Amino acid sequence: MQSLKPFEYVEPATIEEAVSLLSDYADKGKLLAGGVDIMPRLRHRKIKPAFILNIKKIQGLDYIDGNGGDGLRFGALTTIRSIELSPVIRKDYSILYEAAHQLPSHQVKSMGTMVGNLCVGTPASDMATSLLALDAELKIVNTSGEKILPIEDFYIGVGQTVLEPGDMVTEVILPSVMPGTRGSYQHLVRTRADISKVCVAVWITITDGICKQARIALGAVAPTVFRAKKAEALLNGRELDQDVIEAASQAASQETKPITDLRSTAEYRKEAAGILVKRALNKTLERAKA
Amino acid sequence: MKKEIAKFTINDRPYELLVESNVTLAELLREQLDLTGTKCACGVGECGSCTVLIDGKPTLSCSTLAIAVREKDILTIESLATREGLHPIQQAFIDHGAIQCGFCTPGMIMMTKALLDENPDPTEQEVKEGIGGNLCRCTGYVKIVDGILAAAESMGKEGGR
Repeated sequence: MQSLKPFEYVEPATIEEAVSLLSDYADKGKLLAGGVDIMPRLRHRKIKPAFILNIKKIQGLDYIDGNGGDGLRFGALTTIRSIELSPVIRKDYSILYEAAHQLPSHQVKSMGTMVGNLCVGTPASDMATSLLALDAELKIVNTSGEKILPIEDFYIGVGQTVLEPGDMVTEVILPSVMPGTRGSYQHLVRTRADISKVCVAVWITITDGICKQARIALGAVAPTVFRAKKAEALLNGRELDQDVIEAASQAASQETKPITDLRSTAEYRKEAAGILVKRALNKTLERAKA
Repeated sequence: MKKEIAKFTINDRPYELLVESNVTLAELLREQLDLTGTKCACGVGECGSCTVLIDGKPTLSCSTLAIAVREKDILTIESLATREGLHPIQQAFIDHGAIQCGFCTPGMIMMTKALLDENPDPTEQEVKEGIGGNLCRCTGYVKIVDGILAAAESMGKEGGR
């Protein structure tokens, strides 16, 4: 088996040190946390960084704080497994639990961080899709300070985020959950262990039977995860009945821009996206009535 | 590239080793320490055959830099059998024919240990989900699941191990 190319290995002790080194190394440095994405890419020579910065030794970045009433935050080193096992996330932010839980590998969930998954920038990220429906924000730190960015503005293309060399995502912030909010996460995979070929997350606030605020996020059917805003507009102010669900599903399908690859054809993805939106809306309706 | 002397606890024994930064934990175990029980199949974290436990958590040693886990407590398949005999998981795998070619077995057994340490009495579904990151190319999953359920039962009877 091919060994890894040599690199300098550094363990910054603080966020300040990490971003200062990242800024010095510019495009020659790569952050390492769980390693589940970066290690295979190093092995395959897809990236050849001169410096690897392991941020796992930075204290205070592995936490889940808060709840649906107040909003919730988790850190750059919070693993996917911690998210999956969090009773608060399972209860108050169920679609994030569902996205984390469907990942098959315990090893990957125990090693991999949620923020690491987001920063890979794959449009097939189940977790990014759910976090987009939840209207999450990311805290981005660099040597000049920090800023908070909606996850909707984070992705610019396949494998591309707005992060500049020297930027580090340190925290994910979830807004508080309005009473009456329900949702559903749905996806299609070729085999249990494969990545999603279509994924959908729906998160809707329903008051007196009327959709007050609907968010529909789709993954793996466009260059980035995205919100189906035309479909959302068809839901807002309406009762979630079968006619509305059908119209919104068709609208969401039309908003996709899928590609053909080894997992599915573009035509299949477009059609399946509508079906998954319909399933997710029906599941949401069922949960709202429960 | 600098080499560093790093301390590890592997299978309850302390080690001080000269480690290069680009060496993975799987390479350290197999090539520097001759602990060849840990297998490397895909090398990119897809198959689970290189699973070891680090501070009790199931970890892919092919996708872990050795230098990044210094000072940690590492358990490999070699830690399970004692002078008194095989570990109940190993025995259950043998008794239920949960081994065909054997290549996935060390990873499968270490994942089973992590699973049963966390959940000593899993349902069949929980077992199947628990080994979701471990591939068996012989496709002997039915017997592996039987073996894991039997191991849980025998460990429950003797009060865990």
